[in-house]
Amino acid sequence: MTNASTAPGVRIGDLTVVYKTQAGELPAVSGVSLELAPGSITGVVGESGSGKSTLALSLLNAVQSPGRISGGSVEIDGLGDVVGLRGESLRKARGRHIGYVFQAAQNSLNPLKTVGKQLLDLGRSHGVDDLRGLVREAKELLGRMGLDGARVLDSHQHELSGGMRQRVGIMLALVLNAHLVVLDEPTTALDMITQATILRIIREVHEERGLTTLVITHDIGVVAEVADRLAVMYGGRIVEQGPTGAVLGAPSHPYTKGLIKAIPRLVGSLDEARALPGRPPTLATVPTTGCVFRERCAERMDVCDSDDPPALAHGDRIVACHAVGTSEPAQLQEEVA
Amino acid sequence: MKQIARRLAGHLARGLAMILVVTTISFLIIRSIPGDPMAAKAQKLMEQGMSPEQADRAVAVLYGFLPSGGMWDQYVDYMTGLARLDLGQSLTVPGTGVSTVLLGAAQWTVLPVLAGTLLSFLLGVTMGVYAAIKRSGKLGDALAVSGSLLHGVPQYVLAMLLAAIFTTLIPILPAGGTADIMIEPGFNAPYIGSLIEHATLPVVTYALASYGGWILAMKSSVVTVLGDDFILAAELRGLKRSFIFRYVARNAILPLFTILALSIGLLFGGAIFIEKIFNYPGLGLLLIDSISGRDYALMGGAFLLITVAIIIANIAADLLYTVIDPRVRDGAESS
Amino acid sequence: MSVTIMPEAGGAHATLRRNFWRGVWRVMKRKPSRLVGVVIMAGFAFMGIAGPLLYPAQLPRDTDALYAPPSWQHPFGTDFEGTDVVALVVTGSQYVLLTAVITAVITVVLGTGIGLFSGFKRGRWDTVLMRVTDMKLTIPGLPLLLVLSTVWKFSAAFEMGLVLGLLGWGGVARAVRAQTLSLRERGFIEAARGLGLSTTHIVGRELLPSMAPYIAMNALIAVTGAVYAQVGLFFLGVLPFEASNWGVMLNTAVFGGGALTTTAALPYLMAPLLAILLLTLGIVLVVDAMDEIFNPRLREE
Repeated sequence: MTNASTAPGVRIGDLTVVYKTQAGELPAVSGVSLELAPGSITGVVGESGSGKSTLALSLLNAVQSPGRISGGSVEIDGLGDVVGLRGESLRKARGRHIGYVFQAAQNSLNPLKTVGKQLLDLGRSHGVDDLRGLVREAKELLGRMGLDGARVLDSHQHELSGGMRQRVGIMLALVLNAHLVVLDEPTTALDMITQATILRIIREVHEERGLTTLVITHDIGVVAEVADRLAVMYGGRIVEQGPTGAVLGAPSHPYTKGLIKAIPRLVGSLDEARALPGRPPTLATVPTTGCVFRERCAERMDVCDSDDPPALAHGDRIVACHAVGTSEPAQLQEEVA
Repeated sequence: MKQIARRLAGHLARGLAMILVVTTISFLIIRSIPGDPMAAKAQKLMEQGMSPEQADRAVAVLYGFLPSGGMWDQYVDYMTGLARLDLGQSLTVPGTGVSTVLLGAAQWTVLPVLAGTLLSFLLGVTMGVYAAIKRSGKLGDALAVSGSLLHGVPQYVLAMLLAAIFTTLIPILPAGGTADIMIEPGFNAPYIGSLIEHATLPVVTYALASYGGWILAMKSSVVTVLGDDFILAAELRGLKRSFIFRYVARNAILPLFTILALSIGLLFGGAIFIEKIFNYPGLGLLLIDSISGRDYALMGGAFLLITVAIIIANIAADLLYTVIDPRVRDGAESS
Repeated sequence: MSVTIMPEAGGAHATLRRNFWRGVWRVMKRKPSRLVGVVIMAGFAFMGIAGPLLYPAQLPRDTDALYAPPSWQHPFGTDFEGTDVVALVVTGSQYVLLTAVITAVITVVLGTGIGLFSGFKRGRWDTVLMRVTDMKLTIPGLPLLLVLSTVWKFSAAFEMGLVLGLLGWGGVARAVRAQTLSLRERGFIEAARGLGLSTTHIVGRELLPSMAPYIAMNALIAVTGAVYAQVGLFFLGVLPFEASNWGVMLNTAVFGGGALTTTAALPYLMAPLLAILLLTLGIVLVVDAMDEIFNPRLREE
């Protein structure tokens, strides 16, 4: 509990996850590379079906059947490549090294047991000898998040509100002193005030404990609030990544542009908010060749039909788009004209 | 606690209503039996030299109400008799109260039914877990199909098949009765051995008949729970398999308690066939015999007792449910 | 999932239907044993309709061969009067089928009607109806039938179907009500109301079609129960004797022929038992297939 400096770095390299369907194995995540710098908060944004949750589960090598990781690696400092982990060593890595926080709407607690008993089960599963110490730690964490620790530990899931459950989830992810935390839709289905509280807690705990944090969300507002870096997913690929402020301020991928345009602003007229035309692809409708976004793209070119755009570094960010290149400004002008 | 008391009160109220319905049905049926057995009996007693009043009263002792009274008076008589736990007199066993006959028969139904239920519950639930875990494999398929078949086949078919195999083709088990009549009843090894030998086929039939239902119910319940988020969450927290197994098992077994109540009810129905086939002198056989022996007071009593047994089973199952599910205990879920 | 109840254009309905039949075909193809179930049920239907036509009204008796052992001429031997057992089973299937159909109709009509009404109206009517349903479900059915048989010998196919149907609608009513309530909770009914659709339209065009599979499955299960109860009642001997009736055959085999102690009457016992087992197998396989077609959760596996 002293080693605040042990925030691990994570390097996801060319990760591909496929789901077995009647039409064969279809990729939900294809060739994703992403680096989480030690001590950073990274946000992954995408619509449902973009593969972001699958990506999150891959960090724990926990892709659920009928899905499987078919290629690539997830290197975590201190653990090695988790894609190769199996059995007991994988189980021990989960919870102990990597904390996972579920979406609040999902019920991540056993309805028949009190939070305290589930905490003890967790401690026993990871060979914690000092169970009293564990309970103390849990109470302290809950107290930090503004809850009455003793009472919460004595409660069943149905006695807790959504926001309280979410804080319990964060507590369970941190109580074993994991330094890599994955939050899957941490604020979905919570009211606005609770959302703000949870985001504040995430940031505070992240700094106090020295964590490496990955936040998965469909809500750009959440990312803008907490993340240092931002990765935008579409159709199983990361189409753009970079520092949050830069990406949101000057998006380069047409999809990111569309996403940001779709956000209604407080100032300015509502008409300026424009939804992207079309629908996000599903597993079955993702194009196998060419750019996955071309059907909805305003900057579509011939090459998009045939070639998958490679993810290339452009200054401080990485973008996968044929239209983003050396001649970007010129092309943009053509499109406008 | 308050919740439990409220649920119990609700059950008792519903139970009483059911008893009222069942006894009313019994009364109406006894009243409207073709040929009016009560009048015939009174007639016969008068021919034997009784005065009309004496005959009337003698018949009333048998049935619980005066044969000559009006319908409503008879009903009130019958019901007050029942309220005093006076079920009338048995015809087939003269001079014995219906309640005595019933209690004598009840032991031969309750013990085998409970033994069979327990056996099949334990076996079926365990197999159901396997059927769920191996549901995409051959073993799971085989378990599920065997479960469906056993669940689908009526008890009497099972009973007759077992009897045909073990008493006719390979005669290793006795065909009927509770014990060898040559052995002196008492607390001695040969008698108890004979009891067990005679109870084997009925108990196995009860067990097999409900085993399929348990497999199917447990399988679908486990499949549902396995898909629940908290199981994935527990896995992602790195909980030991033994803990996860317990989480699944306890959550999956919960809904089975409602079925437990129903199945005990069904078993009491099935007892009629099984006792008839194995000539086992329990409540079911008593009901059949009372019908063929035109012993209507006994018939009403047996019907009532079977109903009461089902009500009690329901209450017991519900209380059990309340004890294990904190949500019900706190009244969080209104069901 | 595949069941849409929002109003759609006719074309969409047609696609749905096509998808449905494709789903049926896929499920059948995946486990061919299910086709066997369909074949068995079709076989019984044929037997029930055409079977009695194959034999003379008065089945021939061979008085020299009472309880004859199985032979080419009598595959399952003969009964106590020397009548061919197979002929008895085949002619007896008509009664079974007829009562099953009558029971099914009554069960479906009453169960669906009461369940829909209860789930749709909710409130006081719902409470009362469900109390009644619960009570009906808990009153031991078979003892009730036995007690009833003392005042009314309901042995004709129509009477039997009527009695069993009147006793059997509880399960369907519960299932239909639960479905109605769950559709209601998901806002379908309010949405349809909002579109200005009449109650008849909502029930007839939207609710019923989406619930038909559940109703069919529950009805099939209720029918199985009815077949067993009916055979069982005759087996117990509380109803008048009829020669070619499966239950009566079982009764005479066990209590007349002593099939449970001697082997002579065993084939006579086995024939109706096998018929019941085969019918069960057919129904189980068909229900299993229906379950997978209509239960997305199982299908996704």
